[in-house]
Amino acid sequence: MTARILPHERIDEFVTRLMQSAEVVAPRRVEVADVFYGPISSPGEVAWDYGTAIEPLKRFLLPQRETMLRFSTNGGIKVEAECDERERVFLGVRCCDVTGVGVMDAMYGGDTPDPYYMSRRERSTIIALTCLQAPDETCFCVCCDAGPFLTKGYDQQWTSLPEGMLVEIGSERGEALARANEDLLAPAELDQIATRYRLAREAEETFGDFKSYIAGAMRKLSMNEVDPEVWEQAAMRCTECGGCTYLCPTCVCFTVTDRMNGSQGVRERHWDACLNNCYAREASGHNPRPERGDRLRARFFHKISHQWAERNGRQACVGCGRCVAGCMAWAHMPAVTEGIRRGVMT
Amino acid sequence: MNNPYLPKIASIRKVKPETYDTATFTLQLDDPTERKAFQYRPGQFVELSVFGAGEAPFCISSSGHGRDTFDLSVRKVGCVTDALHEMGEGGQVGVRGPLGNSFPFEEVEGKHILFVGGGIGLFPLRPQIEDVYRERDRFASITVLYGARTPDDLVYRDELEEWQQQEGMTCLLTVDVGAEGWTGNVGVVGTLLQKVEIDVPNAVVFVCGPPIMIRFVVQDLSGMGFGEEAIITTLERHMRCGIGKCNHCMIGDKWVCKDGPVFTYRQMKAMMEFEE
Repeated sequence: MTARILPHERIDEFVTRLMQSAEVVAPRRVEVADVFYGPISSPGEVAWDYGTAIEPLKRFLLPQRETMLRFSTNGGIKVEAECDERERVFLGVRCCDVTGVGVMDAMYGGDTPDPYYMSRRERSTIIALTCLQAPDETCFCVCCDAGPFLTKGYDQQWTSLPEGMLVEIGSERGEALARANEDLLAPAELDQIATRYRLAREAEETFGDFKSYIAGAMRKLSMNEVDPEVWEQAAMRCTECGGCTYLCPTCVCFTVTDRMNGSQGVRERHWDACLNNCYAREASGHNPRPERGDRLRARFFHKISHQWAERNGRQACVGCGRCVAGCMAWAHMPAVTEGIRRGVMT
Repeated sequence: MNNPYLPKIASIRKVKPETYDTATFTLQLDDPTERKAFQYRPGQFVELSVFGAGEAPFCISSSGHGRDTFDLSVRKVGCVTDALHEMGEGGQVGVRGPLGNSFPFEEVEGKHILFVGGGIGLFPLRPQIEDVYRERDRFASITVLYGARTPDDLVYRDELEEWQQQEGMTCLLTVDVGAEGWTGNVGVVGTLLQKVEIDVPNAVVFVCGPPIMIRFVVQDLSGMGFGEEAIITTLERHMRCGIGKCNHCMIGDKWVCKDGPVFTYRQMKAMMEFEE
C-alpha cells in the first residue's frame, strides 16, 4: 500500500468519480467564513483551504434525530427497523475529526454493535486532509494524539504538496479506491514522503497557547484525586447549555422517544447530554446526579479517565477545540484539565 | 446485522394487582420460537415497550423455571408505566432482552442465604428467592427480611404468607409506619437483622430497595461483619438502550445495564467513588 501523488489539476476529476457512486461529504463554505461538512454537488464546492469545520462529522454517522423503528398498532402490533444504506465518502476531513470517528467506532461497535451506526460506518470512506499549520487558535490536537497529521484511522490521508496531493493509504478500502483511479495517480517519490514528515513537524510547531494537559488530568481523575472544589467552581461557570456536548466529536449519548400519528408510530433517538439536569433522573423523581458539579465530573470522567480510555482504546478528547470556541463560560476541556491539575479553576 | 433495538412482541396473559400503585404483569412472547429461546436468570432485566408511550427497563420478577411466561412487577410512576397499567389481558407490548448480568447461584452454593428487601426492591429478589428455595438442599439456610413503608405497600402478599409458613425458610416482615390491624413489626428493615441468627462468615446477602435503604442496610451488614464481596445488590438507573450505548446508566467506570445490574458491594463502592 504505497503512497501516490494526485496532481492538483486532476483533483476535480477524482472527486467527480467519487460522486458517481457515493454521496460525497466535504467541507463547504456556507457563509463567508463558516465551513460545515456537507454533501457537495460539484467538486468546486470543496473548501480545500479551510481551517476547521463548525461541527464534527458526528451527525452524518449519528444523526441528531433518527428513526430507529416504525410500528403500527392497527390490528396487532407490527414493528420494522429502519436502515440507512447510503454509500458515503467523507472527503477532506480534519485529522481531529477522523480520530473522533475512531472513538465513535469503539463506542458504537464492540461486542454489541449498534446497527444504525455500523450500517453507515461500514459504507463510509474517510479521506483525511492534514493541517499544514494550526487552523485555529483553539486547536490542541497535538495534546491528544489526534493531529495535525495521522498515522492511522483513515482510508486515505491527503497532504497538499506543491506538485499535488500526497495520498497515503491507511486501509484496504483506501487502497482499492486508489487502484480504481490509478490513471489519475502517480507513485510518490521518496523526497515527497520526506517532505510530508518535515511539514508535519513544522505544523506541530505552529500550535498556540491552548495546551490541554490531558495526561496529568487523567491521572488525578482516574485515581479520584481531584479536589471537589474544582467541580464546584466549574459548576459555578457552566450554564448547562449543552453546547460542548453537541459540538464534541465524541459526545454520543442519546435518548429515545416514541411519536404517534393515529395508529402509526415511530421510535426515534435524539442526541442527549449528560450535563442536562434531567439526564439521569428516574421516573420516581430520584436524580443520581442532582448537582451540576456531579454532572460535570461524570462528563470529564467519561471523556478522559484511564478507566474509559481503556474501554475505548484511547481517551475521548481529540483536541478539536470546539468546546473552547463554543463555551461562553470558560468551562471547556483545556480549562477544566488545567483546573484538575492545579486543584483550582483559574 | 442483528438489531438489538428491535423488540419482540409479547402479550399480557395476566394482570395481578399487588398494591394501590403496583401490579404484576405476566407476559408471553407471541412467537413460539422466540418464546423457547427466551432464557434468563434471576437478576436480569428487559426493556419493555408500550408502543406510543415509549420504552423503559424492568427487572424480570419471576423465576424462569418450568414456564414459558415471565412476570414484570411494575409500579405506576411515569409515562410508560402509566400506559402499561391501562392495559389489560391480551394487550400487546414489546420486549428486548433478557439484558444484563444475573445473581450468583452456583457460586453461593452451601452458604446461608439472606435476602433483605425494601418496598418494590422485592421485585428483582423474587426470582432468586424462588430458585434458591426450589433447590434449598444446596444451601445452608434461607432467610427473607422484607420491609415496606406501610402495610398497604407490602407487595407479593400471597407469597409472603407462603414464605412465612414454608419449612426451610425464615421470612420476617416489618413496616416503617404501622396501621390499624397491623400486629407485626414496626421499624425499618434493618431492625429485622437483630431478630435472626446469622452465621455471618458463611453467609451471603442479597439486598435491594430504595437508595437510602440500601445505604443503611449495607452499614448494618458491614457492622455485623459481612465482607464486601458477600453483599450483593442490584442497581437501577434510567437505562435507555440496555446495551451500553446511550450512556444514561453510567456510574463511574461502569454501565449498570451491561456491567450490571447486579454488583457486589465492593464493586458498587468502587463505582460510587467517582460519583460521590
